[in-house]
Amino acid sequence: MMNHEQYRRAMLANPLGTDPEFEAHRASCEDCRAFTDGVLTFEHQLVRALKVSTPISAKILLFGTCSTARPTKGARWLALAASVAIAFVVGAGIWLTPRSSLAADVVAHMADEPTAWKSQAALPAGELNPVLKRANISLDPKAPSVSYANSCEFRGQVVPHLVVQSPRGPVTVMVLTHEAVSKARHFDEQGYRGTILPIPQHGSIAVLMRAPGTTAAEVDAVAAQVRAAIVWGS
Amino acid sequence: MMDRVGAKRGRARFQALCLALRPDLLRFAFWLCHDHALAEDVVQESMLRAWKAQESLEDEKAAKPWFLTIVRRELARTFERKRLNTVNVDDLVALEDSSLAAGDQADLAEMRAAIFKLPEEYREPLVMQSLLGYSTAEIASELNLSQSAVLTRLFRARHQLRALCGEDTSGDPQ
Repeated sequence: MMNHEQYRRAMLANPLGTDPEFEAHRASCEDCRAFTDGVLTFEHQLVRALKVSTPISAKILLFGTCSTARPTKGARWLALAASVAIAFVVGAGIWLTPRSSLAADVVAHMADEPTAWKSQAALPAGELNPVLKRANISLDPKAPSVSYANSCEFRGQVVPHLVVQSPRGPVTVMVLTHEAVSKARHFDEQGYRGTILPIPQHGSIAVLMRAPGTTAAEVDAVAAQVRAAIVWGS
Repeated sequence: MMDRVGAKRGRARFQALCLALRPDLLRFAFWLCHDHALAEDVVQESMLRAWKAQESLEDEKAAKPWFLTIVRRELARTFERKRLNTVNVDDLVALEDSSLAAGDQADLAEMRAAIFKLPEEYREPLVMQSLLGYSTAEIASELNLSQSAVLTRLFRARHQLRALCGEDTSGDPQ
C-alpha cells in the first residue's frame, strides 16, 4: 500500500499518472487529494507557460542546397529565381492544403491539453477572468462552475478553452469567434461527442463531452446551457 | 510519370508533417537554448536533415520522437560549434524580455523565468513530459536514462519549480 510520501513523490514526478495504486491512495486520503488539486492547478499553469507562442508565418524550406564554391553572377540570379519559386511553391502549398474539418481540429486540440479534464474544483476568478476578458466575453453568474480556463492557439487565433462542470460530467467549451458556421454540426470522434453551434455575429462555440453513451440530445441540452451562459461583449 | 506523382505526394505529406510538428519542436528548442531566433535556425536545419534522412522514418506515427531526436542532435551540434552566451534570467525579467513576455498574464512570465532557472537536466525531461506529452519510458529512451532516474529528475524539477514560484512546498516529500 502506497504511503503519503510515496504518493506525493509519484504525483510530482507524473501528475497525470493513472496507476491504480496511485488512484486508490488518492481516493482514501483527503490530505493527498487536496495536495493533488494544488499540483494539478500548478501543472495547468506550467503547461500554459511552456506553450510560448511560435511564429506561424515562418516558411519551411525543405529543398535548400549548400555549395562551398562561390556562385557566378548567372548562378546567383538562378538561385534567386529558384528561391522565389520555392517560396511560392511552399506558400501555395500551405495556402492550398485543404484544411481539416473544424470538428477534427477541435478534437485534435484536446490532446494538447491533457490536464484540462483532471480537476473538478472551481477555478479562482483571478485565473478565469483574464481568459474571458481576452476574448471580450463574460459568464452569467448562474453559469455552471468552470474548472479550467486557458487562452489557446487554435487555427492561428487565440481562443478561450474552458471546462465547465455539468451533471453529466466535465464539458469542454471552445469559443471560436473567428469560425463562422452556417448551422449546428454534431460530431462523434475519438471518444468525444459534441456540437459546433453557430453564434450570429460571434462565430461559433464548440461543446464537447467524453462521457461514454452521451446522446446527441444531451449534448444539445448542455450546449444550449453553455450558450445561454456566455455574455458577449460589444 | 507515376514516380513523379509519388514523389510529389511524398513531399506534400512530409511537408504537412513538418508543419504539424514545428510549433512543439520550436518550443522544445527554445526551452533548451533560451533564444527564439536560434530555436528557429535549429528547427529549420533539423527539418532539412530530416528531409534528407526521411527513408529512416518507417512509421509516420513515430514522427514526433524521430524529429525530436534530430532536433536534440542539432542543438548539441550548435552548442559544440559555438559557446552560447549565457543569459541571466533576472536581467531578462528586469528588461521584460520578449521571450518571457506573456501579454496580460504576469503569472506566466514569472513561471517562465523560473523554468529557465532549473538545471537543464531537470528542465529537459519536464518539457518533454508536460509540453510534448512523453511517457516516462519514452523520456528514458530519448535521454538514455533509467525510468527511475527520469522520475527522480521530474520530481526534483517540479519541487524546485514550485519553490521558485513561491508555492507552499511544506507538504512536498524531501
